[in-house]
Amino acid sequence: MADATQAEHKWTMVVDLDKCTGCQACVVACHAENNVPIRNKSEVQANRAQHWIRIERYWVGDPPARARFLPMLCQHCNRAPCEPVCPVYASVHSQREHLNLQVYNRCVGTRYCNNNCPYVVRYFNFYDPYFPAPLTEQLNPDVTVRTAGIMEKCTFCIQRINRAEQQARSEGRDLGPDEVIPACVQTCPPSALLFGDLWNPESRVAKALADNPRALRVLEHLGTEPAIYYLKGGKSYVRF
Amino acid sequence: MGRRIGRRDLLKIGAASAVAAALSGCEFPRPWVHLEPYVRPPEEQVAGVGTWYASTCRQCPAGCGIIVRVLNGRAVKIEGNPQHPLNEGKLCPRGQAGLQDLYNPDRLQGPVRQAERGSRRYQAITWEQAIDDLRAGLSRAGSSLVVWADHTISGHLLDLFERLTAALGAPPPVVFDLYTALSGYAALSAADALLFGQARLPAYGMEEADVVLSFGAGFLSTWLSTTHYGVAFGSFRQRPLDRRGYLVQFEPRSGLEAAKADFWVRLRPGSEAPVAQAIARLIADGGVGPADRVSRARAWAPAVDPEAISSASGVPIDDLRRLAGTFATAARPLAIPGGALTGHGDAVAQAAAVQVLNVIAGGAGVGIAPGPPAEGLVAPVAAPYGRVQRLVERMRAGQVGALLVWGAANPAYALPPALGFVDALKQVPLVVSFRPIVDETALWADLVLPDRTYLEAWGYGVVEPSFGVPVVNSQQPVVQPLYNTRATGDVLLEVAKGIPAAAAALPWPDELSFLRERIAALPPGVFGGVGEEVEWARFLQHGFWQPRPGPGALQAPEARPQPVVVPAPSFQGAAGDYPFFLYIHMPVLLSDGRGADKPWLVGSPDPMTTLMWQTCAEIETNTAIRLGVTYGDVVRIMSPYGQVEAPVYVLNSVRPDTIAMATGLGHSALGRFASQEAEGPNPMALVGPAADASGTSMAWANIRVRVERTGRRVALAKFEDTRGSYGGFVNQAFADQYL
Repeated sequence: MADATQAEHKWTMVVDLDKCTGCQACVVACHAENNVPIRNKSEVQANRAQHWIRIERYWVGDPPARARFLPMLCQHCNRAPCEPVCPVYASVHSQREHLNLQVYNRCVGTRYCNNNCPYVVRYFNFYDPYFPAPLTEQLNPDVTVRTAGIMEKCTFCIQRINRAEQQARSEGRDLGPDEVIPACVQTCPPSALLFGDLWNPESRVAKALADNPRALRVLEHLGTEPAIYYLKGGKSYVRF
Repeated sequence: MGRRIGRRDLLKIGAASAVAAALSGCEFPRPWVHLEPYVRPPEEQVAGVGTWYASTCRQCPAGCGIIVRVLNGRAVKIEGNPQHPLNEGKLCPRGQAGLQDLYNPDRLQGPVRQAERGSRRYQAITWEQAIDDLRAGLSRAGSSLVVWADHTISGHLLDLFERLTAALGAPPPVVFDLYTALSGYAALSAADALLFGQARLPAYGMEEADVVLSFGAGFLSTWLSTTHYGVAFGSFRQRPLDRRGYLVQFEPRSGLEAAKADFWVRLRPGSEAPVAQAIARLIADGGVGPADRVSRARAWAPAVDPEAISSASGVPIDDLRRLAGTFATAARPLAIPGGALTGHGDAVAQAAAVQVLNVIAGGAGVGIAPGPPAEGLVAPVAAPYGRVQRLVERMRAGQVGALLVWGAANPAYALPPALGFVDALKQVPLVVSFRPIVDETALWADLVLPDRTYLEAWGYGVVEPSFGVPVVNSQQPVVQPLYNTRATGDVLLEVAKGIPAAAAALPWPDELSFLRERIAALPPGVFGGVGEEVEWARFLQHGFWQPRPGPGALQAPEARPQPVVVPAPSFQGAAGDYPFFLYIHMPVLLSDGRGADKPWLVGSPDPMTTLMWQTCAEIETNTAIRLGVTYGDVVRIMSPYGQVEAPVYVLNSVRPDTIAMATGLGHSALGRFASQEAEGPNPMALVGPAADASGTSMAWANIRVRVERTGRRVALAKFEDTRGSYGGFVNQAFADQYL
């Protein structure tokens, strides 16, 4: 588990449930950025669909029920249940970035991590990825394509974190408060997703979470200390 | 962008220099081979560092700005252009998936001829043969030529088509596709012409509104601009809780908008416009709100009986009174007409009935898109459906000598089969498709001359509707063309050279010189630059043009009071034979079917049903129990005009008397993903050939259907079934408490 004291950043995401329209732009952006394969119909029917970020749809209230959307992705827990169960240290906590990493070339596919993740956000490659040519051209060269037998999950677009850090270092300056933008956050039309360094008070996430009574973390009682905060849906107080 | 050297070219150069070294032997000054690629990399490219090109998204007619990351000659990611005023750096899922138009494995790799229509036996030909064939066909057709384009066509190409048809004495191109038809483009423009004297699409400043009444508008999933209204919705919800925007959605079936609404009114299909009129009447009678609004309401509100509308629409009269009070007393209320109310009755009057609420409110936050900002720029205008009906008649009568179909219009898929388009095609001597992939219309074409996809092609686009300030988008190739395709603009210019009547009208050597000439007519824009070359470079660099003074506020022109008469809803099919209403909707991923060939879209879960690769007949829970069907049972849905078979999806959020169906699937062509992997009904098969009373729109929203069991079952590909994703640790109790 994590020793947070050595980290430079506390990468954090804020999901405003009041703004999320469920439009799936983040889902498609993540597929494009991270080379996540699309599973075909029979694979989906075998419950093996693969989306690093997904929009869960719940029904609430009496019929006619109302749909509610909950974007769900790796929570990058500070005390992650997936990490201690990995026999080969493929699921590890990075001291520097303060993220849950999945080291693909260590993974032997025991799926213990998947079993232990209360958020069910880890996806096992039951099949080799299938990109009929020239769909291979769309693949992002910054991200590995995972073969069958490998566990994968959201990385908070670590390639983008690295790219921004390298850029800042090459320009001899510190990383700006909102310089790192994962693909899902970048595309979200209503800006329901925010990303940044919680330890930098100038960042959007720090501002969004400052004394915000709407903030909650999913399954907080499990003690996983997720790095994703959700802002509960609001209500309008309209004069009638 | 100048000539860029692609990855393949580099390999060729490398091979050529090796051969040169071998052949030249002793004359060659040094005995080793030069390795070119990374010593002198192609212009604008650094290995491992992405180059970003600004361009325009063409997945729907809205015209969002995009930037495309290109690495080593490959386009690897599309993102929103952060400078673009329409989408402010954001993109919807369809925009994100644009790469799969470019890299679709089923694209045509060159021009083909089909000797027997519908045979799917395509014979590759050269571009010279293709152009000769097309030239001969156009010469024969002359004034009986018809051009059919979809609304995402670049302005310069539409301009060239218009010049060609005018030179031949043929009617101007028909711009018609299912996306704009189901969104009600033609009727919305006509309603603005009726009220404000300008036939232009309306724009709504939702980001500043406090109360929004949306009459079935799918503004978060499709409609006029998914991304702009998505961004606006974020601002609408962002404000502190006491000023958080209040959204009311009137719709028989919940889509994303009703799910996000503070108040969802599950009204009877077809009663949106009468409900809008009842609200106007109640504002006039109740006298709540500022005096100027009440006096405008008295001038505008028709003499309808709110009680009668309440019982006919199924909306309690108390709710109507409350909504009238909310609307009249709000600081910046808005009323938005959706696509469904333009699908029956008198589409123009019904759209106008909703716009009248904005007139009553004072018109703040409602705008009419301005026209093209410079002489000589062309923007597509959606053709009224009446024109399409007459065209099909003319085709059937043998009066059309050649039909050229450009883009994703795909009339053979989009039009109701009851209209008889495919039959009428048989009377057309020459049918040419320019789509980069074989679609249902190209199945019946003699020639398919694939155009480049929008990521390989030049163009411009006037943003309509624009929001307060005119915008002209630039579209440029971000990668070298993948295949032996040719820009349709260049094909037209080449063809015209051999037709005396057209040669004088189309004198340009290539489409790029024509395009640059058009863009040079724009006055200096916000990005500055002196001289034509610099202005052109800035146009490409930033991806759009905008006039120098900053953005203006949306303000509708003065409207003159006039009666807006909305007929009572009437339905096609007797209630006794056809007990259910059919509610057709365009889902966010597949839209009108152009998402079906992209695995990222067709293989991602629909937000409401979580279905992937499939669409269903959506039936309310108690209705499904009464019919004795459940998830995956295949039912036959019959209307007076046709029938389809569809699996059942039991949806909580649809009226019990309504069957909802998504558009987008049911393809017999459009590549392997759409026609082989995906399965679902095309609900257009249930629609009749009729237009609405105004002749602007297809009568697609007032169909009645009946449902029969077939006894068969199919497995559904539902994401909500995935183990643990739902009903696991994050469960219903969590949803009830927090969502």
